[in-house]
Amino acid sequence: MQVTLIDLATSSVAAALAAETPAAAASGTPGAGARLMLIVPVLTLLGTVLCGLCAALRVKSKLPAWTTVALLAGSFAAVAATFSRGEGVLSPVIAHGFEWISIAWGGWGSGGLGHGITANFSFYVDSLTLLWMLFVTGLATLIALYASEYMSHDAGTGYCRFFAGFNLFVFSMSCLVMADNLVLLYLGWEGVGLCSYLLIGYFYKKPSAVAAAKKAFIVNRIGDLGLALGIFLIYVQFGSVEYATVFEAARPYIDSFRSGDFAAIPAAVQLIPILLMVGAFGKSAQLPLYVWLPDAMEGPTPVSALIHAATMVTAGVYLIARTYPLFLCSEHALPVVAWVGTLTALLAATIGMAQFDIKRIMAYSTVSQLGYMFAGLGALTSVGAAFHVLTHAFFKALLFLCCGAVMHGFAGQLDLRRLSGLIRVPGWKVVGVGMLIGCANLAGFPFTAGFFSKDMILAEAFVTPGMAPIGWLLLLTAGLTAYYTFRVFFRVFVGPVSFEPGDEVHSHAHDEAHTHGHSSDHANTHDQAPAHASTAHGHFHPHAPGWAINTVLVILSGLSIAAAGLYFMGPHGGWVASMIHHSSADLPAAIGEHPSHGSFLGMDPHKVMYYVSAVVGFAGIAAAFILHYAGRTSAATSRRADTLSDRLGVIARAARAKWYVDEVYDYLIRTPLWVLSHVFHLVDKLIVDGLVDLFGWLPRAFGRSIRPSQSGVLHGYAVGMAGGLAVILLIVLLVAW
Amino acid sequence: MAESILILLILLPLAFAAFTSWMPRRHAPTVALLGTSIALVLGVYAAFIFDWNITGRYQFENTVEWLPALGISLKVGVDGVSMLLLLLTLLLGPVCVLASLTAITDRVRTYYAWLLVLQAAMTGVFVARDLILFYTCFEFTLIPMYILISLFGSTNRRKAAIKFFLYTFTGSIIALAGLVYVAWHASEHAVSGGWTFDLDRLMIAAADLPPSAQGWVLAALLLGFAVKVPLFPLHTWLPLAHTEAPTAGSVILAGVLLKLGTYGIYRLAIPFVPAAFAEFAPYLAALSIVGIVYGGLICWVQTDIKKLVAYSSVAHLGFCVLGMTAGNEIGLSGSVLYMINHGLSTGALFLLIGMVYERYHTRDMGQLGGLAAKMPVWSTFMVFFVMSSVGLPGLNGFISEFMCLLGAFQSADGWGMGLWGSAAPEGVFLPGSTPGLLGPWYAALAGVGMIVAAIYLLQLTGKVVWGPLVEPAGHGDGAHHGHQHTAHEAGHDAPGAHNTLHPASPSPAGNQQRHSNLPADLNAREIGILVPLAALCLFLGVYPKPSLVAISGSVKQTAAIMREAGVFSKRPATLPPAEQPTPVEATPSAPREAQSGAQAAAKPSEAPPGAVTLSGHGGMSR
Repeated sequence: MQVTLIDLATSSVAAALAAETPAAAASGTPGAGARLMLIVPVLTLLGTVLCGLCAALRVKSKLPAWTTVALLAGSFAAVAATFSRGEGVLSPVIAHGFEWISIAWGGWGSGGLGHGITANFSFYVDSLTLLWMLFVTGLATLIALYASEYMSHDAGTGYCRFFAGFNLFVFSMSCLVMADNLVLLYLGWEGVGLCSYLLIGYFYKKPSAVAAAKKAFIVNRIGDLGLALGIFLIYVQFGSVEYATVFEAARPYIDSFRSGDFAAIPAAVQLIPILLMVGAFGKSAQLPLYVWLPDAMEGPTPVSALIHAATMVTAGVYLIARTYPLFLCSEHALPVVAWVGTLTALLAATIGMAQFDIKRIMAYSTVSQLGYMFAGLGALTSVGAAFHVLTHAFFKALLFLCCGAVMHGFAGQLDLRRLSGLIRVPGWKVVGVGMLIGCANLAGFPFTAGFFSKDMILAEAFVTPGMAPIGWLLLLTAGLTAYYTFRVFFRVFVGPVSFEPGDEVHSHAHDEAHTHGHSSDHANTHDQAPAHASTAHGHFHPHAPGWAINTVLVILSGLSIAAAGLYFMGPHGGWVASMIHHSSADLPAAIGEHPSHGSFLGMDPHKVMYYVSAVVGFAGIAAAFILHYAGRTSAATSRRADTLSDRLGVIARAARAKWYVDEVYDYLIRTPLWVLSHVFHLVDKLIVDGLVDLFGWLPRAFGRSIRPSQSGVLHGYAVGMAGGLAVILLIVLLVAW
Repeated sequence: MAESILILLILLPLAFAAFTSWMPRRHAPTVALLGTSIALVLGVYAAFIFDWNITGRYQFENTVEWLPALGISLKVGVDGVSMLLLLLTLLLGPVCVLASLTAITDRVRTYYAWLLVLQAAMTGVFVARDLILFYTCFEFTLIPMYILISLFGSTNRRKAAIKFFLYTFTGSIIALAGLVYVAWHASEHAVSGGWTFDLDRLMIAAADLPPSAQGWVLAALLLGFAVKVPLFPLHTWLPLAHTEAPTAGSVILAGVLLKLGTYGIYRLAIPFVPAAFAEFAPYLAALSIVGIVYGGLICWVQTDIKKLVAYSSVAHLGFCVLGMTAGNEIGLSGSVLYMINHGLSTGALFLLIGMVYERYHTRDMGQLGGLAAKMPVWSTFMVFFVMSSVGLPGLNGFISEFMCLLGAFQSADGWGMGLWGSAAPEGVFLPGSTPGLLGPWYAALAGVGMIVAAIYLLQLTGKVVWGPLVEPAGHGDGAHHGHQHTAHEAGHDAPGAHNTLHPASPSPAGNQQRHSNLPADLNAREIGILVPLAALCLFLGVYPKPSLVAISGSVKQTAAIMREAGVFSKRPATLPPAEQPTPVEATPSAPREAQSGAQAAAKPSEAPPGAVTLSGHGGMSR
């Protein structure tokens, strides 16, 4: 286990086949090929259309689910075939679809660049693309299979709509990941946002779901504006939005970066990554735009697992990895990314520790883990970040699907104070074991996949000069993560068997009856938590998951474990490292190697981090054990934990209330805007339109005011005439004077 | 055929309008549908024989003498831009007729006759190549629209119609003054001798307008056109007119009439006074940005669905004008496409609102909610067109919005001249920048409109489409429409708060007799109206290439005109004059060439030393 990963990762640059900079690798004559990848969007779009057709024909069977599973499996096969053929693995190839926004006016100026714009429906297939597409299509297939059972309550009503959205999501995601230009990426980017909107709002009769969907879309739009401006700036700066051209054009600046000559890089170029990262922060739920993701749990759980844990939220990581050459043109971009990621990881972990809704806890852990990935990107280990994306995709999907199984079986119950000992309930063994595997990964239990990927980021944070504080914060977060992860496990899955169903037992049809359903904030109801014991619901029998759910959980458990093996595959730093080194996310050798190695308490971080992080992880798990298992007397209470949280008082309450971030945003942004809108509306009515009405009124008023003079009385006119004459004479006299 | 097709397109609806008013009233809709459909078929045929390779050149040109003594003729012709707008107009014709079948039950002949007259007038604007013809048609759209609103609108229709008429009429009169001044100038100074209103000749003649006059002409034209667009702060007639107009009226208003303003700027203001336009571009852009954000935020607090969409037009057209002020190919293309796309998606939104109104007789968002449960098909279309309006990539709205913003972003003389700390040496221009007076801040501020659009449009869907089902009293499940209606009206007249939204009981127009047996969700006719619009939105979003090519010729010329006018100016000419590119070489159009020649000839003598050089990108050393 003495693999010094970062040394290997960086030295592999020299050893790797392409002994050149990533820009060169990326731009070096991308050939045509990988046309098989074009099948993915076609199949998924076909799936969308077919499911839409099913909806129109009011299909009541599970046909849309099987169609989706088959088409997604086909997509996965296409990606796998491309990968196994080696197309795009070593150097990028471009699969040309059709011309999208492509126009050239030409004819003036000497350069000709910039007097047209080319953003085609073409795919840029390199190893980074393949890495992402493999797990996106693979997981989508599995989760669609899971959803076929999970969503079966809704067969005939929303079933088709759900799978149509599901297919459209994979379509958009494939556009995002495979695009050969930033505008097509933007299409995918907003497309996944739309699908997220539609699927979060799947239970559209629930106001909370509608609000969450709206919030997700709008917060993402803020990020999208940043991304759009970044694309504009790239176009102005480099005259193109196609990766190949842009990376080629950015190469001189990377050289400047390497030599530390930041003054030679124009400010506009340095600004590009700052704008791009705003988009990434929105989509990947980082500070300050993370607030939409926890609310997004209003959607059906398969959606949470696929979109809001495994794939879509990693789009921000993908964007930065894809445009890594541009981030390497900026002095401040990567440190900013690292700090934002770290602070998000810490903040989300503290919130996650205090929640009671297990799905929310998983949501906050997603935010937190995404923070790790950003920290990894910022700490110059794109390999670590990508590896963490991959392992996280498996184990977080697994965790969510386990939570979903619980929610499905216990009528929407997700409160960890109302569930206990589930692993011993007949039929729930698979879920329990799956949960354990997922939790161990998330907590960074030694030799799990999550352990290796997290260590890569931690160690590199200590290695990179100036990033040691980040390393310490991430280490602290790792401990907190282990604690809140196993808090869930110890309370819900082990201990005395005890449960009470959620409120969906009363009304299956998701109507207004449970508008304040399981996902509402439990902060206020904490004190009177277990109003009635589970015996009160003696008639309730949880229905254990069926074959589809169990199969998927078993496969995902296996994948979560097997992902650890990837770390040992290939010569240097594992399979992911070898993939990244042939993509645009690679580091030029001179940047990756740090002349002055940072250190961890005087030791080489690469060597000691395994032990340190293992110890930290154990400490977190032990704390969870003591507080939530050993001291627990019933499902509802854990005397020690409750005493502790009472003693923490305000802090615990504030963490439970998510540090009041939503409230602060509401007061500082939403309310002022709302007031401003009303003011504008009034101004529009009274002033802008008022002036117009005034103009319209003036002639009439004038007419009305002189109307009395036209009285028809003769001496009135005589007086008027005399008066007028007098005035004229007066004026004449005055002027003549 | 090809020569007379445009004249035919104007005369055909007029003829059918006459038929309609003679027909028995039950046949009026059929005749109107027939007339608009034939016009559409003719238009599609014209599109087929149109030569899309030379979209910058006017085709189907035809001149009929009208008042030769005054130099007025019926000169018609279309280029790529007007062709697309013409097709949009013709498409909306049958759509509007079909949308009115159940909504309009009284004075049917009057209604359809004026609808057809309106179409003839709009067609005339887009095909006119003579100033007087243009202006006549431009103004003549007011009368049918006035009648449609004042006779067939809802409660407050009189006031809305009068305001609409007077407001836009006042603007147009001022524009007329500007236009006549240009014509007078042409008759005084130009080669032709005597009066002419031929647009091609006027453009040549306008090239030597003195700079001070250019400013005044621009101000006059803009006053007229900006009211029509409408540009902030001249927009207040629009929400009122939209809210009160019948559905078809709103569709035409949003779909075509607003575009007359932007089309006027594109077709007349820019070619007549390019220098002044370019100089004042930043102010115009600022006004449009204010419109985008201000209009968008006002949308957010609306409770009347129709008013919300009406205000959204203010915001959307802001993008359109912004793209035009950018003055480069990308911005102008975006702007022209915006005219088409806004017509499709906002037109469709008005149709959808009309369909709900016919069922529930309310537009109050407080009384409508969660319609997805009851009207899934309607909701699907609603979400689709809302997304198109939000500017979701893959649908039509995105392409134009993106290009308008990008055009504004890149259009800055400051690029590469030290702005933003750019290290590029003086005179070296960034590959994606174009000369202009806007810049990144304009795009960034206008981009805020993207967020605001998401806020108000999702507010709309969140309330009306999603959420728990809310229906006005008397429209609950199983309620029999005709039977329950009286109860519903009685119930809502009491509070009095919604009186503006509810037509007060029997009104003289009597349009409230709308208890046609409409099903809960859309019927086949309604779906049939929406599907072509949706298909077009999708097509233009997924494959915008043909539309981009269709307008490329005209856009390129317009951009060249603005660039040649030389006001974007401050960059030094480093290329010798001989190497200066001639911007119109690729798509030669005889009058245009003459015009640019005239401009070039006029330039050295007119331009104050050092102020105006038309180096364009000449300084770019790559």
